[in-house]
Amino acid sequence: MKKNYTLKRQSGYFIGEFTVMASPCQILLDNVDEALADNLTAQAYTEAKRIELKYSRFRDGNIMAQLNNAEGSAISLDEESIRLINLADLCFQLSGGVFDISSGVLGKLWHFKQQTQLPSDVDIQALLPHIGWQKAHWKAPLLTLSKGMQIDLGGIGKEYAVDKVAQLLQNEMGQLQIDSAFLINFGGDIYANKLRSNGEAWQVAIEDPKHLGHSKLMVNLSQGGLASSGDSQRYIEVDGQRYSHILNPKTGYPIVGGPSQVTVYAQNCVQAGMLATIALLQGEFAEDFLKAQDCRYWL
Amino acid sequence: MQLNSKIKNKSKTFTNISLTLAAATCALATPVMAETSDADSWDVDAGLLIYAEDNNQVQAYEGALSITKQIDDERSINVKGVIDVLTGASPNGAVAQNRAQTFTRPSGNGSYTTAAGETPLDDTFRDTRVALSTQYQQQLSRLWLYSGGAYLSKEYDYLALSINSALARDFNNRNTTASVGFAYAYDTIEPEGGIPASGVSVNDPDNRLTDSDTKQTLDLLFGVTQVINRQTLMQFNYSISDVSGYQTDPFKILSVVDTDGWANDYVYESRPDQRTKQSLFWRTKYNLQPSGQVFDVSYRYFWDDWGMASHTIDSKWRIPLAKSHFIEPHIRYYNQQAVDFYQVYLDEGVAIPEYMTADYRLGELQTYTFGLKYGLPIAGNEFSVRLEYYLTQVSGDDSLAKGAGMAGLDLYPDKSAIMLQSFYRF
Repeated sequence: MKKNYTLKRQSGYFIGEFTVMASPCQILLDNVDEALADNLTAQAYTEAKRIELKYSRFRDGNIMAQLNNAEGSAISLDEESIRLINLADLCFQLSGGVFDISSGVLGKLWHFKQQTQLPSDVDIQALLPHIGWQKAHWKAPLLTLSKGMQIDLGGIGKEYAVDKVAQLLQNEMGQLQIDSAFLINFGGDIYANKLRSNGEAWQVAIEDPKHLGHSKLMVNLSQGGLASSGDSQRYIEVDGQRYSHILNPKTGYPIVGGPSQVTVYAQNCVQAGMLATIALLQGEFAEDFLKAQDCRYWL
Repeated sequence: MQLNSKIKNKSKTFTNISLTLAAATCALATPVMAETSDADSWDVDAGLLIYAEDNNQVQAYEGALSITKQIDDERSINVKGVIDVLTGASPNGAVAQNRAQTFTRPSGNGSYTTAAGETPLDDTFRDTRVALSTQYQQQLSRLWLYSGGAYLSKEYDYLALSINSALARDFNNRNTTASVGFAYAYDTIEPEGGIPASGVSVNDPDNRLTDSDTKQTLDLLFGVTQVINRQTLMQFNYSISDVSGYQTDPFKILSVVDTDGWANDYVYESRPDQRTKQSLFWRTKYNLQPSGQVFDVSYRYFWDDWGMASHTIDSKWRIPLAKSHFIEPHIRYYNQQAVDFYQVYLDEGVAIPEYMTADYRLGELQTYTFGLKYGLPIAGNEFSVRLEYYLTQVSGDDSLAKGAGMAGLDLYPDKSAIMLQSFYRF
């Protein structure tokens, strides 16, 4: 049977690799044998794939399709979805409404692929009434989206998958009474559980947004989450101006004046990811925001 | 136009949101149990319990069914039914003797005999109880939650009715919840043979007052729940309860003992018809990440105006295993100081006091509970089974075992019980 992942031996650790959520994903397992590395990678793949299938807005028959096609009626969510929506709801409040899972419909106009013209302002204004989490009615377990409104958990899903896989690996290792170090990297969203057995931290390269494929700096990560947000790969230039794919849900236009990339360290990957994303949504005030958070960050 | 407008000020002040985010993302990573389905789903919890005391004392079998229905996004209702079957015997309050003792049954019909050296047990204890309750919850606004309910239980000689109501409000980004609740209960007792006259001999043919009596209870509860950090939750409660009406146990008696320690008579016990109970409760739940282990420790201090005071320390440790199985060891310690009018027997020739009881449940005692719960998913639903061992150590002044009648007897026998309980949620 063909496996959905590959496993490679490196010096002192194994790398399991697969593609989930359109991102290259890696599981680095320090100081384990091959059979265990294979087993853990398989489980990590299964969990990440489960989250992708459940929350992808590009699939039919999952909870996102159900919500986005509910036409104004209430949908009851399972406990996992309740937690994710609660987090999205909290981020909406904490960000003053700029982190908004209902802003995904703007992607119809701003797709950032071979786009040489700005979308028309008329089209943008026409979409705005369908955007705004405050218009959703959320009382766990029931979520009611108004007609025409859609939500997208893409801004949380990958970081969430990283933390869930981390939890899974930790539990599995706990069962086996081993305590090896691991690092999970899902397309730049990262979590490491502890120092490697040789006493060294994991070395994480952060890509230079101006020179793709080259690293801008190396970060030592022993324990915690690391997430980056930026427009290094998704932006358009129209008439010499660069338009980020970070969109302001209140105006329908890209955020201006912000850094092209933000990397944040936090206790877990979702926390790091939310801080990075909310920072970018502050535009030119991104760094003011990050300074107020008492967190390690790189611009 | 949005794109061309340049904002003039150079910097902006932000609040720190990372702690709140940390707490929220922590909740995200804890294991998810059984998944619920669509909006029309009913949550059903079913439970079975077997409780057995040693020496063939009280045994109880209980079946419970609880159904919760989400009416719409703001309202839910729960209905619960319980059936208990109780058999066995419990101490009647009389002291053990170095000779056999014969007691008239509470109904006045027939008698039962306790062998020398044995704790006298009332063997007529046999009952079936049916209880029904309903609880309604409504979100009044984003931050306010109301709940109200009613309860009815009926057994052969006892009817209990109560209503309750509570209001809770979230503060501080929903990290703090304050609540206030009240409950009112009205109970009617109609013991076989009628309400006995306190302090009157059980053998007096004229020792009955009325057929029934009532008791009313008013409870007030104030609580605060606080999220301390992403792993810790704390809860503080204060409650006060005012009970008025008949609180005596009509089946409990006291031995009247002569100078040689022989019980020549037995009289019905008597408790005040007013009691104010208060308690303080503190609980901490700690969720250890990323293992998902949960430590749950609580302490309760209870006191009342009958002179009783108690301390309870309760701790549970939930350990997740592979494939959503878990185990949960449980240890509980309880220590109670006797009420002012507790006495193990009465002395012959001394005036009968206004209030008196020899019921060990109002005496000085310690209980120890050791339990283990094991949970596993069955068909995607949570099933769990719990086994617990209780030990009750009753204490008191051993020198009260006086004379030939009681020499060498244990006036305060220990008691142990085993409980087996299973739950299924679907």
